[in-house]
Amino acid sequence: MLSKLTKLVTGFPKTTIALLLVVSVLFAIQFPKIKIDTDPENMLEQNQPERVFYDKVKKEFGINDLLVAGIVDEKGIFSPDTLKRIAQATDEILKIKGVIIEDVVSLRTSDNVTSEDGTLTVKRFMDDVPQSPEEIERLRNDLFGNPFFVDKIISADAKATSIYIPIEKKDQSYRISKEIETILKKELLPEQKYYLAGLPVAEDTFGHEMFVQMGITAPLAGFFIMLLLFLIFRMGIAVVPPMLDAMLSVIWTMGLLIGLGFTVHIMSSMIPIFLMPIALLDDIHILSGFFERYPEIKDKRKTIIAVMKGLYRPMFFTSLTSAVGFSSLALADIPPVRIFGLFVAFGIMAAWLFTNTVVPAIIMLMNEEKLERFFEKRQKKTARFNRMLEAFGRFSFHRSRAILFISLLIFIAGIIGIYRIRINDNPVKWFKPKHRIRVADNVMNKFFGGTYMAYLTAEAEKEDEIKRPEVMAYLDKLQGHLEALKIVGKTSSVADIVKRINYVLHGEDKNFDAVPESRQEIGQYLFLFSMTGDPNDLDNFLDYNFQKANIWVQMKGGENADMRDVEQSLSGFMRDNPVPAGINIRWSGLTYINKVWQNLMVRGMLKAVLGSFWIVLLLMAIEFRSLWIGLISMLPLTLAIILSYSLVGFIGKDYDMPIAVCSALALGMAIDFAIHYLQRFKSAWQEFRDIEAVNRFMSGEPYRAIMGNAIVISLGFLPLITSTLTPYVTVGTFFALLMFFSTLATLILLPAIMRLWGRFLFKAPVLPGRGLNETN
Amino acid sequence: MKLIKLFFVVSLFFLAGFGQRLSFAEDNLSAGDIIARSRLAFYYAGDDGRARVTMELINKAGQKRVRELTMLRKDYAEGGEQKYFTYFYQPADVKDTTFMVYKYPDKDDDRWLFIPAINLVKRIAANDKYASFVGSDFTYEDISGRKPDEDTHGLLGKEQINGKNCFVVESMPKSAAEYTKRISWIEAENFLPLKEEFYDKQNELYRRFEAIEVKDISGIATITKRVMKNIKTGHRTEVAFQEVEYNLGIEDDVFSERYLRRPPLEWIR
Repeated sequence: MLSKLTKLVTGFPKTTIALLLVVSVLFAIQFPKIKIDTDPENMLEQNQPERVFYDKVKKEFGINDLLVAGIVDEKGIFSPDTLKRIAQATDEILKIKGVIIEDVVSLRTSDNVTSEDGTLTVKRFMDDVPQSPEEIERLRNDLFGNPFFVDKIISADAKATSIYIPIEKKDQSYRISKEIETILKKELLPEQKYYLAGLPVAEDTFGHEMFVQMGITAPLAGFFIMLLLFLIFRMGIAVVPPMLDAMLSVIWTMGLLIGLGFTVHIMSSMIPIFLMPIALLDDIHILSGFFERYPEIKDKRKTIIAVMKGLYRPMFFTSLTSAVGFSSLALADIPPVRIFGLFVAFGIMAAWLFTNTVVPAIIMLMNEEKLERFFEKRQKKTARFNRMLEAFGRFSFHRSRAILFISLLIFIAGIIGIYRIRINDNPVKWFKPKHRIRVADNVMNKFFGGTYMAYLTAEAEKEDEIKRPEVMAYLDKLQGHLEALKIVGKTSSVADIVKRINYVLHGEDKNFDAVPESRQEIGQYLFLFSMTGDPNDLDNFLDYNFQKANIWVQMKGGENADMRDVEQSLSGFMRDNPVPAGINIRWSGLTYINKVWQNLMVRGMLKAVLGSFWIVLLLMAIEFRSLWIGLISMLPLTLAIILSYSLVGFIGKDYDMPIAVCSALALGMAIDFAIHYLQRFKSAWQEFRDIEAVNRFMSGEPYRAIMGNAIVISLGFLPLITSTLTPYVTVGTFFALLMFFSTLATLILLPAIMRLWGRFLFKAPVLPGRGLNETN
Repeated sequence: MKLIKLFFVVSLFFLAGFGQRLSFAEDNLSAGDIIARSRLAFYYAGDDGRARVTMELINKAGQKRVRELTMLRKDYAEGGEQKYFTYFYQPADVKDTTFMVYKYPDKDDDRWLFIPAINLVKRIAANDKYASFVGSDFTYEDISGRKPDEDTHGLLGKEQINGKNCFVVESMPKSAAEYTKRISWIEAENFLPLKEEFYDKQNELYRRFEAIEVKDISGIATITKRVMKNIKTGHRTEVAFQEVEYNLGIEDDVFSERYLRRPPLEWIR
């Protein structure tokens, strides 16, 4: 069937190309509809229980997206001039549209509750800017005398202050953060540093970087691959068919993705970069075969038809297995990963279509005279590379037993390495260490209580239950436990507020810096507090019916492992100190959510790898009509994957999102080498009936084609290393490593196995003849 | 440039016409006069007064908190000194809490709060006029009034609200205040504010006051139902005044620390 297509395509090359280009335009016109999605919460399903709960917490406790501006003056902030600048900057920030004025927390806007001469005073820390040394000393005492605000709006060393700026809508964060920056730049002295942190800033920056990725890194990768192709074929025109194939498949895939209304997430922004090198792998086999056979056949069309005939099966199966590998990502519970997998799979199959249409069509349009001249030159140049490959082929063939033994050792060492893998991720570390966001994050975590938020929600069965003294006391004790942990910078809750009022009402007597013992007292203190500020001052900590309380847990690190430790430590605490009756305590917050999806990712990827392993094995068994050959074809990639992941374990690199995703992809890609090797071996065996001769043949053109593939696929991902986002860098490096190991494993392990058992694996041929595979 | 000039001329023309029409409509009351009279009608009705007040604090999600209280007021000078006494029935765990305010025209209020659970009368400094009154959307200033000369007032015109003729007055604070602009719709007949809109530092409307029900009580027009809504947060406070009485002859000593601890039963039932 496919041979008919080849005849048709090579008969009408121009029509074929024109037709496909027209269809491609339909996909391309979808591009302007692109929507970027940088919300880390979208790593979870909309209805995933933890996410639903977190959304509820945010809504019930009025938690808005927050920008945090940190101001650092190495000389300390307590000087009239610096304080004046801070006050002016804060006043200007309040005027920015979209800022929730009454929820801004800062020196200028936050209330301090104190007791002076028996009078309860509620006033802003800095309603008027202090001028005299006495006034400044007073402000200093006010701030450091209120534990609620130390490490929050004032650093313990008095060198930094911060302004917490909640915003109405996340999509305004870019404009608002720019306006804040302008204000801070204008109001502060050059030696006073400012930093902007907060999730919305990170997300915006990330979205921007993603565009850069797609707009610069992807084309850069394209050029790089072009260069590689040129080095392999030493001929300008040979670069055109694979490049067109790659470009069209990217256009179709991204066009379809955008056209169907999917958002472009961190994962899907990597589609072009993945697709390009994969798309043109089969084309390398066609071109390699074409250049090999053309000098003897001397007719473009006949050469193509002859070459393609031997490649239909391996090309189809390599495409199919790669597509299966990617679509196995659909088994993960993480929507962006699923979409990524399915669309790359689509792209691979689209590329297969172009391989069978566009590529032969373009070859038909090549100038015959130029081809002739090129072949004369080529014969001499490539001789050295050929000798190298032959030597390589002899090596793996003659050292077969040693190779198998060493492979076994690597396998065992690999398993040990895999056991040492540490599962961990931190989305802030998706930025490189020198990145503005990372710098701001480090500074803020150095001076303040921690920028990584998690929430603990205590929920009662009935209204007003949070006011029970034992509940309040429990919250207080629980906070004490958490704050003793090194990674936890600060916790805040309604218990802190009640304690503060108790302390202040009793003339700032230390004995009363505690949770009161009667419910009436707690109720009346909270009532008093509601008489002093805004109606929504308590909202962040207490729901409207006093049925739920929210504890803010600020952490200095956002690693999933940190979150896990805190979570475990709290479970231990709750085991030793039973929760008051009728109260239920549950985690949420972004740091926690990140941990949740990381766990899903690990499980999802394991499912994906195992799933695609079985499917690919099945496909191989069908392809070769032998379970044994199927199993053998899986060996090199299994070894390569184990080796790569054990390296991750030994080096101590965290097993994070990009590393996880690579495993499933590598499987579908690495099998290609084995498919091509075994297919060529099979047909050569049927011709030569002598293992030694087959091996000699294999280390010629088949090795060249496989090596060409390996070079493109390993090096093709390397431009990712230039990226400013670490997930791309990780994918680039790790994937190159995986492919490199797979190639080596294929070209070393398979010949060794074939020498020992090859003659038993392949049955006698029905029809002899080189290049024919249709044996049964 | 020409365009700007033209615009200027046109707006002058309109302004002039607008002012003229107004001067025909009213008997030469300035915006400042209107605000001053409104303050007396709203905050100084009778010589003293009493009301049982129910406040419903309702958040965006529709959840409610209830405040139930009796409020006593005695005026010492028309537009001048006043004393307030407040006793809380609800929420249940604050029952018997009392709150007293001495209001002076030219200096900060004196405020006292009695906290029954620890049997403590505490003086509360009143430097934050803009703080919420018991967690509602009303500030202390909304409850007890603001001196007219703290703002500059301008008459924007006349409009009808529910068939009632109202002056529309714009007030801009002379020094930093909780709002940057307030627009009041003041009923021409009785000078009660039927609607007020408050603008924040971003020049955006963020709070709206509305009188829902006005009743005649002993010949004094009284707003018996009112609502204050925070447009930005969606939080609102609905207030109903019941058992409103004026000119009761409430004694001076009711407004004392002693009565904070033992509320005057004849006034608080």
